[in-house]
Amino acid sequence: MTKRRMFLRMITASLLRRRSRMLIALLSIGIGATILAGLVTIYVDVPRQMGAQFRSYGANMLLLPKEGETLNSKSLSEALEAVPKDALVGAAPYRYVRLDMTTRQQSFTAAGTDFSQIVKTSPYFSVDGAYPSETRQVLVGKEIADTIDVKVGSTMELTYQPVQHVSDKTPEESRVPGASLSGKAEGFGGGIVYVTAVLDEEAKIASVSIDASTQTPEYGGRVAEDEGFLNQLVGRSLPLTLGDGVDALTGATVTSSAVVDALNSAAETSAATRPRTQNFTVTGILTTGGEEEGYIFMSLRDMETMTDSDQLDVAELSVSANVEQLESYAAAMTENSRSVQARLVKRVARSEASVLEKLTALVFLVTLVVLLLTMICVSTTMMAVVSERRREIGLRKALGASDSSIRAEFLGEGLFLGLLGGVMGAILGFVFAQVVSVNVFGSSITFQPLLLPAAIIVSMAIAAASCLLPIKRAVAIDPAIVLKGE
Amino acid sequence: MILKAENSSKRYFRKTGGANYFLAVKPLNLALSGGEIAVLMGRSGSGKTTLLNMLSGLLLPTEGKVRLGETDLYSLNDKDLSRLRSERIGVVPQGRSAIDTLTVLENIILPAKLYGRTLPVENVRQWMEQLGIAHLRDARPAELSGGELRRMAIVRALAQSPDFLFADEPTGDLDDENTHLVLSAFREYAHAQKKAVFIVTHENDAFDYADVIYQMDAGKIVSTTSQAK
Repeated sequence: MTKRRMFLRMITASLLRRRSRMLIALLSIGIGATILAGLVTIYVDVPRQMGAQFRSYGANMLLLPKEGETLNSKSLSEALEAVPKDALVGAAPYRYVRLDMTTRQQSFTAAGTDFSQIVKTSPYFSVDGAYPSETRQVLVGKEIADTIDVKVGSTMELTYQPVQHVSDKTPEESRVPGASLSGKAEGFGGGIVYVTAVLDEEAKIASVSIDASTQTPEYGGRVAEDEGFLNQLVGRSLPLTLGDGVDALTGATVTSSAVVDALNSAAETSAATRPRTQNFTVTGILTTGGEEEGYIFMSLRDMETMTDSDQLDVAELSVSANVEQLESYAAAMTENSRSVQARLVKRVARSEASVLEKLTALVFLVTLVVLLLTMICVSTTMMAVVSERRREIGLRKALGASDSSIRAEFLGEGLFLGLLGGVMGAILGFVFAQVVSVNVFGSSITFQPLLLPAAIIVSMAIAAASCLLPIKRAVAIDPAIVLKGE
Repeated sequence: MILKAENSSKRYFRKTGGANYFLAVKPLNLALSGGEIAVLMGRSGSGKTTLLNMLSGLLLPTEGKVRLGETDLYSLNDKDLSRLRSERIGVVPQGRSAIDTLTVLENIILPAKLYGRTLPVENVRQWMEQLGIAHLRDARPAELSGGELRRMAIVRALAQSPDFLFADEPTGDLDDENTHLVLSAFREYAHAQKKAVFIVTHENDAFDYADVIYQMDAGKIVSTTSQAK
């Protein structure tokens, strides 16, 4: 038997002999390690856990187009590359426009969005019915539904007026130079009449210029210059009807008619002016308690079809991260993207940070207390073991054992207990954390592989530290006094 | 090689008749040398065990020195003193002295094992046989009688082949037959292997085996008697 084997033999024999005591020490280390490992797991996982919890309070980051740039699906997904996949809970794009419900003589704000993302970014949305899953379906805010009395299954006819004040723009902003449209029509004698009209912001004719050089100058050709004829066109909406507010120029009826036709055909072919009307089926009524109840939600695809544009106004992001991370993601997105700027929803981000701070401080405190209790328990047990083994220790010393060998033996026992307790703690701790996580946070956690070595090292360190005082006692035992006889 | 006590004394803190201290061993000189079996006799409380502990390197004298050759035992640090004791000094403590978690054989080889030494198997076996415990080698101390335990402790000391062997009341719980067995073994060890054996006892049996007999009383050696070998 080698010296080491003898050493191990004595440690294991001693542990086995004092089974109940050692079981208590092992249990206290094990339970301590369990709670520690569990708390550390939760501590590490809490930001993620709570982050997911907090995400039910809505988006904590907004993506907006930079000054003079436009935001669309492509630039949005490019910008999102700066956020780690596992941190991004959801990103809901929004495009707001004003839609008319001509049958009711009312107009509403409509939002084109991605419903699969809304579920993630705004889990507090309460839908009576269902989210739209196909095109030509809408989700109607409760406020609107109450006003115009629509229900799930109702059909709404919505019209998009291409040039108009959109909800998110002030009248000043939308007073851009009107669209211009050009058309041609066959005039007198087969000659082509070219007409170009500039529309004002209300899609009404602001000015008209006519090329009637193919017409007889004394007759049809006059339409290009006759102020009476031209002025009657200004301020009118397309299409025009000759005889209904628009009178033909005397002696140039065919040419006048060609001008009207040219304008009408231009208006019809121009995407910029053609109002688009579509029927939508209401699939759900939305209740949020907020301003969303005043909106009509439809899919981005429908919105694109209606507006003939893939432009987005804003994207709401729900990101599971702490404030520092959020800020770094926002900065990265703003920096990397040409057209997108990111902003934190400060109110949400800050309150999350403050709750997290308190929670982690609490976990830290509890960890500290558990650590202390474990040490006290192990120390007391080892102290009792030393007392029990006083005579044996004295004998060993009398037989030539040095203080360091006594120290090594007790430390060995302590470390062995720490090892067992650590393994036990890492496994049970994970189970404990899992149970806590499932019951408190409603989601499971992933096993941190680092937890096992960490738990073992920490519990061995605790066990060793707990043995310091008992070891001091053991070393101080005077063999001469202990062996005085029985 | 000689082990010497030089003006060694031991004082304990104890309220005794108005004094705060109790002189267990008064300053004394004593020398132990190889090939000699010395017996220290005296009444209980006369300081025999204290003297034995001081000589065997277990108890620091209050005054004076204990030298092994030129080495002052108590000037060594714990590690060196422990090693020296393990290699050169054997002790049979008073009372029960077994580690219950080890077998008899393991108990016997333990002192050598503490320093990674191996004992000659034949030597161990021979002492076990001589003291009648060979058949108990794999037994546990708890399964042994008091006499068997005592003989185990004696074999443990002998098997290490120490230059100086100290035995405190080694025959206290032995019958006559075993007492003679043990004392013979000690004498054989001292004489044949030229080792020093120091026995503390209050039984007269040891008389016949002793080369030197010290009589101790109230912390002093009151008489020294040498007997022809």
